[in-house]
Amino acid sequence: MPDTRLQGILRALAGHRVRMRSLTREEECVGYAAGQRIAGGRPVVLMQSSGLGNALNALGSLAVPYRLGIPLVVSMRGTLGEANPSQIPMGRATVPLLGALGIQAFSLRSAAAVRQATDGALTLAYDAGECAALVLEAELGGGRETS
Amino acid sequence: MAAVRPADIAAAIVQTLPGALCVSSLGTATSALRSASGDGPHLYLGASMGSALAAAMGVAEAVPGRLVVTLLGDGELLMGASTLWSVAAYRPSNLIAVVLSDNAYGITGRQPLSSPPRFADVAQSLGGIAGLRVQDDEQLRTALIQLPRPSLIEAEVTDAAWPGPLPFVDPAVVRLAFTANATGVNGPGS
Repeated sequence: MPDTRLQGILRALAGHRVRMRSLTREEECVGYAAGQRIAGGRPVVLMQSSGLGNALNALGSLAVPYRLGIPLVVSMRGTLGEANPSQIPMGRATVPLLGALGIQAFSLRSAAAVRQATDGALTLAYDAGECAALVLEAELGGGRETS
Repeated sequence: MAAVRPADIAAAIVQTLPGALCVSSLGTATSALRSASGDGPHLYLGASMGSALAAAMGVAEAVPGRLVVTLLGDGELLMGASTLWSVAAYRPSNLIAVVLSDNAYGITGRQPLSSPPRFADVAQSLGGIAGLRVQDDEQLRTALIQLPRPSLIEAEVTDAAWPGPLPFVDPAVVRLAFTANATGVNGPGS
């Protein structure tokens, strides 16, 4: 899904010949990833925190109950440096909403922590069958707040 | 012309394309597919309204060597209609969507849709999806085999009789059976 901070990840993935799909809505991304997962694929969903609200039903009534461990990469809006008031409530709610569905969220604030957290989230998802979210915080840079 | 029920449409799918992986949306479609396939190893959604076509597209792209048929309520597809644009963009050639067209939300009490969705026309207009509206069993079976894929078949329902089985499936059972069917091994996290 569209997001300024995610652009860098998408550019890097393109260099690794990873298949990417640009879909129309976060809920659709989770549905698509659920289909991939249950058929043996290893998808990752990348979205902005403001879009998590669009994805909640697919997470809560498909990915979680069917134990289709899907890794989520959630780029934060509405926190440090946010200039848009409309982004703040969903930003504040992002981690609590994930927690309410039983999805563990791991905040990333420095590049040094990225590899270990990513490996761990992928293991949770693909081996344990648990959705897991990597939350890209404003301190990582690359987002709307710094542009 | 004989009445067309949701169970008849599901039966036409599993009889015409017996090796297909099927994905059913919540409610009537899941009950109909359970009934027609004898609880075969398909992906039955128990909720997540609006996500079934996206899930079917994910399955189709994960196992391109298998034919994937998704059975959708018309209210269901209306809720997730933007996925038609994604299907048109990526065009999985092993995906067929069959819509139970009765202009009502079935399981919640048959509230009418606000207007006929005309999904076959929409699919045709997007390009990349073959769209067709069918009115009887013979037309449906012919379309399942002959339409270029991806395709969307809008199947008119003239008798909305409830198919029978409960649509409240056990996700753990569904996941293990479907993953084994799609991949030959047990599911994620197992």
